[in-house]
Order: sequence, then structure tokens, then C-alpha cells
Amino acid sequence: MIIEVNNLVKRYGDLTAVDHLSLAVNDGEVFGLLGPNGSGKTTTINCILSLLEYDQGEIEIFGQPMTPESYNIKRDIGIVMQNVAVYNELTVYENIDYFCGLYIPNNKLRKKLVLEAIDFVGLDEYSKFYPKKLSGGLLRRLNIACGIAHKPKLIILDEPTVAVDPQSRNKILEGILELNRQGATIIYTSHYMEEVEHICSRIMILDKGKAIATGTNGELKAMINMGEKITVQSNYMSAEQLAKISQLPNIVSAEHNSPLLVIKSSRGTNNLETVLDFIKKERIQHSKIYSELPTLNDVFLELTGKELRD
Amino acid sequence: MQVFRLCLKILKKQIPSMLIYIIIFLAIALIMSSATANEQQQDNSFTRAKSNMALISEENTPLIDGFKQELGKVANFVELPDDHEALQDALYFRSVSYILRVPEGFTESFMQGENVQLEKTIVPNSISNTYIDLCIDQYFNTARLYVQQMENISQESLVQYLKSDLAVGASVELKTVSDQSVNHNYANYYFNYLSYSLLSVLILGMAALMLVFYDSELKRRNACSPLSSKSVNLQFILAILVFTVLSCLIMVTFCILFNFKNSLNLNTVYFIINSFVFAVCGAGISFLIGNLVKSHNAIPAISNVVTLGLCFISGVFVPLELLGNTAIKIASFTPTYWFVKANNQIAELTQFGFADVEPIFSSMLIQIGFALAFFAAALVVNKKRRFD
Ligand SMILES: Nc1ncnc2c1ncn2[C@@H]1O[C@H](COP(=O)(O)OP(=O)(O)O)[C@@H](O)[C@H]1O
Ligand SMILES: [Mg+2]
Repeated sequence: MIIEVNNLVKRYGDLTAVDHLSLAVNDGEVFGLLGPNGSGKTTTINCILSLLEYDQGEIEIFGQPMTPESYNIKRDIGIVMQNVAVYNELTVYENIDYFCGLYIPNNKLRKKLVLEAIDFVGLDEYSKFYPKKLSGGLLRRLNIACGIAHKPKLIILDEPTVAVDPQSRNKILEGILELNRQGATIIYTSHYMEEVEHICSRIMILDKGKAIATGTNGELKAMINMGEKITVQSNYMSAEQLAKISQLPNIVSAEHNSPLLVIKSSRGTNNLETVLDFIKKERIQHSKIYSELPTLNDVFLELTGKELRD
Repeated sequence: MQVFRLCLKILKKQIPSMLIYIIIFLAIALIMSSATANEQQQDNSFTRAKSNMALISEENTPLIDGFKQELGKVANFVELPDDHEALQDALYFRSVSYILRVPEGFTESFMQGENVQLEKTIVPNSISNTYIDLCIDQYFNTARLYVQQMENISQESLVQYLKSDLAVGASVELKTVSDQSVNHNYANYYFNYLSYSLLSVLILGMAALMLVFYDSELKRRNACSPLSSKSVNLQFILAILVFTVLSCLIMVTFCILFNFKNSLNLNTVYFIINSFVFAVCGAGISFLIGNLVKSHNAIPAISNVVTLGLCFISGVFVPLELLGNTAIKIASFTPTYWFVKANNQIAELTQFGFADVEPIFSSMLIQIGFALAFFAAALVVNKKRRFD
């Protein structure tokens, strides 16, 4: 077990930012904390790192209790904060060298690691740049390089892709998977479900400081009673036909807002086939037909009654 | 030493803005230096000219007679009535530039080894008076040595000793006189003005450093590392120390370079000690400001207000006498005042006995007191800031 959090409570006055939260992260996982803004992800991370005092709960990392003085634990953690934390007075290279140097005193080894990190995040051309001269995406990459250069066993990334261009975002996500392949355990927080879905092997969904569901992508989706969503592009159909569609087995609802017919099904097999058969039989004119599996947003919607997106 | 090196790098980034203050300072110092060099050349041509003085002795003793003879070598005596108004007029119309009064009982007290003073009234800034001062110091300092070393020495034999001593030294003496005519005016001015530049540099550097150091995101990020907060703080303090000492050292070095001729004496040592004491105080002020300031843009403005204000009221730019009593009273609540005061006292030093340097050390002690107060205030502010 890499991290074990038991019954963590953190209050800010009347607000309970983390509410009796327990979680366990296994060796080699990419563990995702998914939740909307303000759901308590950062607070949870800060408690885990002993940056905040908490009201209740126990936290163990690498099997040892985590305290502000647990320097041996900290040595093996890489942290990428939600807010970029780099020195404007230092260049890209110097920043990475500084943060790496907090963990690796040996100059020769450090130099090698820093160069690797620069290469890893693709900042080779910018190593002499000062942070002020970097775009948002590049700055995030620098922030990541500063956190991972020392090759830690455990890497915690708190929303590392906020306000990042798609190109940088993909590079970051691929990089995280690569770090995981190289053996690091990852904790990744985000409010973007696509990202979490894409890279995390296990996900905890947070809302208002509470864990509302934990599991693999598939497990989470299996928790809800919703199957695929089928969309048909069709300019015309009769009200009668529409009513008939809703009566098909496993179909929960069907709505036609020309030119789109959106059909929601509950869990089951062959839902798409049933719909297709019906359309053929009724000779409903159509162009594209496509089906989407439920997303984590649907999971969130069903569990909390509200959308995950802001 | 990651944090230490980081601090130095951050400080290095501030060099351009600090350089402005240093360059202005050095430019003024150079101009001053050439100005005083001219003054000193005139000085030499004065050596042979005797100045006019009045010696009013309320007693007649062999010691004073011997003194009169020695004094006659450097001054012409002018007879004046012992009348306050007449004396004032004589000074005013420059018929004499120096009036020396030997109070009654002087000789007796002196022979007993007591610390007694001659009363002098002078035309200010008259260079020729220096020779009279020197002559007086030399005569009585030597005499004091005899009195201290030989118990119950009679006045007559004392005068004999003095006569031969001062005569033996006569040919040498002329040289020592011109060497001794070390003009501390330049050093005095330089070191007074140093407080302004040093303070500016310290505030600029330290405030910038602390803004970075106390940035909450960066602090948090550093707290995630295996470096203990104790080690971080120690390295930070070390960096401040190195910065302070280095800044002070650079400025002091320039003074000695510009004023080398006049620098090889104890006065310079005291000037330097005083500067370092003041630097500690400046570090305290900067530390406090660093704890109060919230943005990079505010630093130069705050630095200017504080340094100009402190230095103006403490007589760095304008002699304190011109500012009036209220100003002096207010000024005595500033460390710069005590720095300037100590400098002025050092410039006057010709003897370095404990009694002579004691007032200087008390001025320095007061500066250290200020330094402690500033550091304490900074810690309080710091604590408060952390709770907010
Ligand atoms: N220092 C603080 N003081 C008071 N409330 C805070 C503080 N930090 C966070 N909060 C509150 O705690 C809740 C959780 O915040 P946070 O952990 O930052 O959420 P997330 O990272 O998921 O966006 C939010 O409602 C936020 O307003
Ligand atoms: Mg957050």
C-alpha cells in the first residue's frame, strides 16, 4: 500500500472541506481524484502531504505515518502543485535544478536528472528562458518537470492541466502514463472527466469533500443504471413513431429535436440493435447514427443529481 | 546549500537596481575625494604660517609656562583682555582664530592624574587650528604619560622632560605634523553618506529576497521537500548575513581606495567597525520592511521614502545643527542619527584611550539596540502575517 487515508476530516470554520474521507492507493496505480471545483481535492492532497493540519483521521504513506517532519517519506514523493510554484528569478534549467537539488545533493547525478526532465517535458529549447517568458502550457510543463526530476516513487499531480492548450495537455497526459510505466505510482486530481477516464486505473469521485464512488472506469459506470445514448440524425418522424421508440425494451427516453433524435437506454445488451431494427422497419429517414457509452459525467449526474462540468 | 544558493541568485538579480545607488554614491564620493585633495594641498602651505591665538591663563605654573613655549612654535599670541565681549569680537573679526583658557586649578588636578580639560573657543573650520590642537594634545598627552608613569614628579622636571622630548622629535615632528594632519573630513562625510547607499541596497535586496522567500506557494512547495524548515531558515539567515557583510565591505573598500593616504590609522578602523554595526541595523530595517511589503513594485518607493527620510533627519545630507533642536530630538529615535554621531565622534578622535572611545561605543551599542528592536518587530509582523 502506497497511501492509506483513514477517515480524514478537514474543516475551515463551518465548512467541512474534507468529510470523513478514506482512500487507499496501491503500488503502481494511476489513482484519480475526480470532482468539481471546490470538492476538496486540493485540500485532501495538502492533508496527505502534511501541509495542512487536519481535524481528524490518519494518514500513512509507504506504511509509515505521515507528519510534517517525515523527511524520509518526502524524499520519495514528487509533487506538482495546482498553482505553478517556480522562481521567476531562475531560468527553466535553474528552477528544475533547484527543486531536484532539494532531493538529490550529488551534482553529477542531478545534472543528468535535470536534463532528462527537461527532455521529458519537451522544454529543451527553453532551458535558458525565465518563467515569465513561457506560455501557460509551457509553464505547466516546467512545474511538472520541477516535481518529477528526482524520479520519485510516488508522484502527486494536482490539476496539472488547468488552462493548458490541447497540445500541451496531451503531452502532459502521455508523460504521466510514461512515468507510471517507468514504475511510479501516480495520484492525479482533475475536474476533467475525460482526462481521468483516459489515464487513471482507479478513480475516486469527490463531491463536497465526500467520496461518493470509487472504482475502475468500468466499475463506476456499472454502478449506474444507464446504458448507451443513441443519437440519430433525422429530419422528420411522427409523434407516433417517437412514442413507439420510447416503448422499446430497455429504452428510458426518446426526444426529437430536429434534426437530432436522442435515445437513452438503460443497461442491457443489444440496445443499439433494437433501435436500428425499429428505424429500418419504420423506414425513418436518417443520416448518421451513433451511440455513446455513459461517461463519468453521467455517473456523477446520477449519483449527485447535478452535472460535473461547471 | 540549495536554499543559500537560491537566495544569492535572487539577490544577484537585484544588482541592476542596487547599482544605481552604488554608482551615484561612488560618483559623489569621487568628486568629494578630489575636492578634499585640493583642500589638503592648501593645508600643507599653511604649515609654516602661524595662526593668531589668545591664551588666557587663570594660573601661573611651570607646567603652563612650558606649554606656552611649545605653543609659541605654532601660534602667535595676541594679548586680549579677559572680557567676554572683547574675546567674541576678536574671534568675529578674525584677529584671533583660537582662544584657549587654562582654568584655575588645572595644573594641580593635572598633576594628580585627573582628567581635566582646557576650554577652547574657535573660529569653526579654520584649518590652522588643527596645529594648535595637535600641539596641545601632544604636550599634554606626553605630560600625562609622565605623570602616570612617575609618581610625584615635580612640575619643573616634567617640563624639562617635555622640552627635550618635544625638541628631539622636532625635525621628525614636522613630518608627523603633516602626516598627522590627517583630514578625517572626507572619511567622515563618506561614511555618513554610506548610510544612505548601504540602507538602500540592503532594503532593495532583502525585500526582494523575502517576497520570494515568503511566497506562500513556493513555501508550500519547499515544505514538500525533505529539507527541514530549520535548515531552510539557517541557510536563509546565512544568505542575509553574507549579503549584508558583502555590501558593507564593498562600500568600505571604496572609501579606503579613494582616500588611501588618510586611511592608515585607527580612525579608519573605527569608521569601519561603525559601518558594520550600522549594516546590522540596516539588515534589521530591511528585514522589517521585507516582512511588511507585499509587492515587488512597492519596494523602490518604500526604500526611497525610508532611506531619504532617515538620512535627511539624521544629518547625513545636511548638518544636524541646521535642522534645529526639535529635529535633533526626533532624529535621536533613528539609528542613522547614532551612526552619524559616532562617525563625527570618530573623526574628532586623536587619542584612543578608553575614555576617548567610550562615547563611540555607546553610539554603536544604541545602534545594536535598534537592530534588535527591528528584528523583534519583524518577527512579530511575520507571525501576524502567517495567521492572517
Ligand atoms: N484556506 C481556506 N480557507 C477557507 N476555505 C478554504 C480554504 N481552502 C479551501 N477552502 C474551501 O474548501 C473547499 C475545498 O477546496 P479545494 O480543496 O481547493 O477544492 P478543489 O481542489 O477540489 O477545487 C472549497 O469550498 C474552498 O472554498
Ligand atoms: Mg484544487
